[in-house]
Amino acid sequence: MFKRFIYLLAAASFIFGGIAARAQDAGALLDLLVRKKIISDQEAEEVRVELTKEAAATSAGKWKLSTPITELELYGDARLRYEYRSGQTEGGVSPPNDWQERKRERYRLRIGLRGVLADDWFFGVRLETSQNPRSTNVTFGDDTSTTSGSTTTINGPFAKNSDGINVGQAYLGYRGFKDITLTGGKMPNPLITTLMTWDADINPEGTAEQWKHTFTFNFGGGGVEQAQQSYAKDSKNLAITKTSEPWKLNVDLFANFAQFIYDDVNPENPVGAPRTSGGKLVPTTDAWLLAWQVGARFTFPNNLYAQLAPTLYNYTGNGDTFNGHYVGGDPALSNSDSLNTNQVGINSLLVFDMPMEIGWKIGELPVRIFGDFAVNFEADDRAKAAGFPGKGDQRYAYQIGAGIGQLKAKHDWQLQAFWQHTEQFSLDPNLVDSDFFDSRVNIEGVVVQAGYALSDAVIFNLSYGYGWTADKSLGTGGTGDIGINPLNKYQIFQADLNVKF
Amino acid sequence: MKRIYLSLITIISLIDSAYADRLVIKGSDTLGAKLVPQLAEQFKAQHPGTTFDIAAEGSTTGIAAIIDGTAQIGMSSRRAKSSEIGAASAKGINMKPTIVAYDGIAVIVNAGNPVKSLTKKQVEQIFTGEITDWSAVGGSGGKISIYTRNTSSGTYSDFKELAMKKRDYAPGSQKMAGNEQIASEVGRNPAGIGYVGMAYTKAGGVKVVSIDGASPSIQSVQNHSYPYWRPTFYYTNGEPGGVAKTFVDFTLSSVGQKIVNQVGFVPIK
Repeated sequence: MFKRFIYLLAAASFIFGGIAARAQDAGALLDLLVRKKIISDQEAEEVRVELTKEAAATSAGKWKLSTPITELELYGDARLRYEYRSGQTEGGVSPPNDWQERKRERYRLRIGLRGVLADDWFFGVRLETSQNPRSTNVTFGDDTSTTSGSTTTINGPFAKNSDGINVGQAYLGYRGFKDITLTGGKMPNPLITTLMTWDADINPEGTAEQWKHTFTFNFGGGGVEQAQQSYAKDSKNLAITKTSEPWKLNVDLFANFAQFIYDDVNPENPVGAPRTSGGKLVPTTDAWLLAWQVGARFTFPNNLYAQLAPTLYNYTGNGDTFNGHYVGGDPALSNSDSLNTNQVGINSLLVFDMPMEIGWKIGELPVRIFGDFAVNFEADDRAKAAGFPGKGDQRYAYQIGAGIGQLKAKHDWQLQAFWQHTEQFSLDPNLVDSDFFDSRVNIEGVVVQAGYALSDAVIFNLSYGYGWTADKSLGTGGTGDIGINPLNKYQIFQADLNVKF
Repeated sequence: MKRIYLSLITIISLIDSAYADRLVIKGSDTLGAKLVPQLAEQFKAQHPGTTFDIAAEGSTTGIAAIIDGTAQIGMSSRRAKSSEIGAASAKGINMKPTIVAYDGIAVIVNAGNPVKSLTKKQVEQIFTGEITDWSAVGGSGGKISIYTRNTSSGTYSDFKELAMKKRDYAPGSQKMAGNEQIASEVGRNPAGIGYVGMAYTKAGGVKVVSIDGASPSIQSVQNHSYPYWRPTFYYTNGEPGGVAKTFVDFTLSSVGQKIVNQVGFVPIK
């Protein structure tokens, strides 16, 4: 009889909780009942076993996680997108004023597991659609046929040839040292960046070391101060007192270092004579991208913050794919010949980059002004190798923008706009954002974006970007979706419906 | 005639022994090293013909034996895990716990160690490897040698939960098969620290440290004021029957609980 009472009590206490949660939470309740001598230890143990048995019979109770896992999160998102993208050849390029456009209905899926293991280790795995390193999008209906050599195979409508799943992230890390995070594998970008220098879909491969420490400075103040007077119902004066907060500054100092494997040539030492080209040995060293970032985020009272993250990027080795000298197109050539010049070489890139941001709130609305500045210290050599020796001054890239609002909960909204200018020899064209502006450099343009949260997990976004050739005597280096170089009057429109889980 | 008579006696004895009660008990070393064998001896005196098959290789083995039906009683110094209860249910086994004694897990150091008391935080820090030198806790200095039970031990799991907030043991901790082995190693090593059931604190060369001012005793364990108290169990498949029920009842009786007290555990009343 008493045992039945205990069952009812436990059930009533957790009536809205899952049964698995009840089994876990019941321990505290049973311990309390034992301490109060309402039930005996024996009765408590029998109830514990019954609740555990019930939990084990549920679908949640059948989940088994291996013992080293202390925390596990399943997450991801799915997106539907309509995209219009177009561009025009520059006046002198043959064919002149020609136009290419793409209209695509697309989707993407990203599903990940990340977790914490015992002893301060952590891991993450994420599966993504698309093989493109700068995109997870798949276009509906783009695989109705496939051509290999002179053979075309009709796959039919709704084929799955382009709908494969790839490993987007697979990494392991360690947080056992105070303030330090070590990560290895194919990882989310550990650096603070903007779309000007890095596409947000890139998951670099290699190792990263991150350090972050928060310093808090109190500048006194605070206490109680007497404010204006007010009047109570009985007409007597009331002094309203208010408490002011002490003036506090939080400084997050951070340092992020990364060693990314950009291009791994294998075998480094092949059997037989080494490869030559044009009478010269073809270099076979692996190419690495090294990043050195230090920065600070200052958080002031009243939601004001500022962040700077100066970064140096340098490249070592040559690799196999990117070891040719970058040209980036030439308006003196026909469009097809311009496209066929080297768009991907990583020679002579020593880039200093400084993403910046300040933010505050207007009422409850977050506002931010953001920007980025980059300069390639070896632009003279890069321009000379490209065949444009007088264009070493095309070494800078800038971005400035502003945003208001946020997209965290239902009915939230956000507006954002930025202007960007990238010069031909300023940045690595293999990393810049693939949407704005079509993975190119030597482009100047504006982007406006608006978002609205239809629910906590569903967000609707509209984006529009317009760009033009910055220096018309050069090509627009990089490999994009629009087959035009130099690319002018570039337009992109995207309507996205994004579901997060 | 005499030969026929003797043969008949022999045959009757053999038949009798074939039908004698056999009780298979597997599991916890904490219970099975001393307590249950002594209970068994006393029980046999009252129930001649009963044979015991006791294997004390860790609480996990005792619970597993109930699930796979190879024992009538599973001794355990820890609660069955949800995965074990789930596995039992899937096989139609009804895991029934019976608390047979309380125990306090005592933290022991070498008798020559000047440290007499530790806080709960210090115990956690020592056994997880955060603190590695005796000087950090008021000792003479020197690297701390940690002795723990192995992973099939209920005491290993209980200590991890009660004293270490489920954090992992320090990588350099040395795993011992039983309470007596831990007591023996700590007794020999001036820098040693380990944990044992209360029944094993009388070993030579060791002493018990108090935890936040509380020492393990009958009173502090019965009123749960000692932080590392725990129930110990017999697990059976549902309500025990036959000789198993008789033995469980005997363990819970005043005679059985007197043996519990004599061995060094804490009676349930």
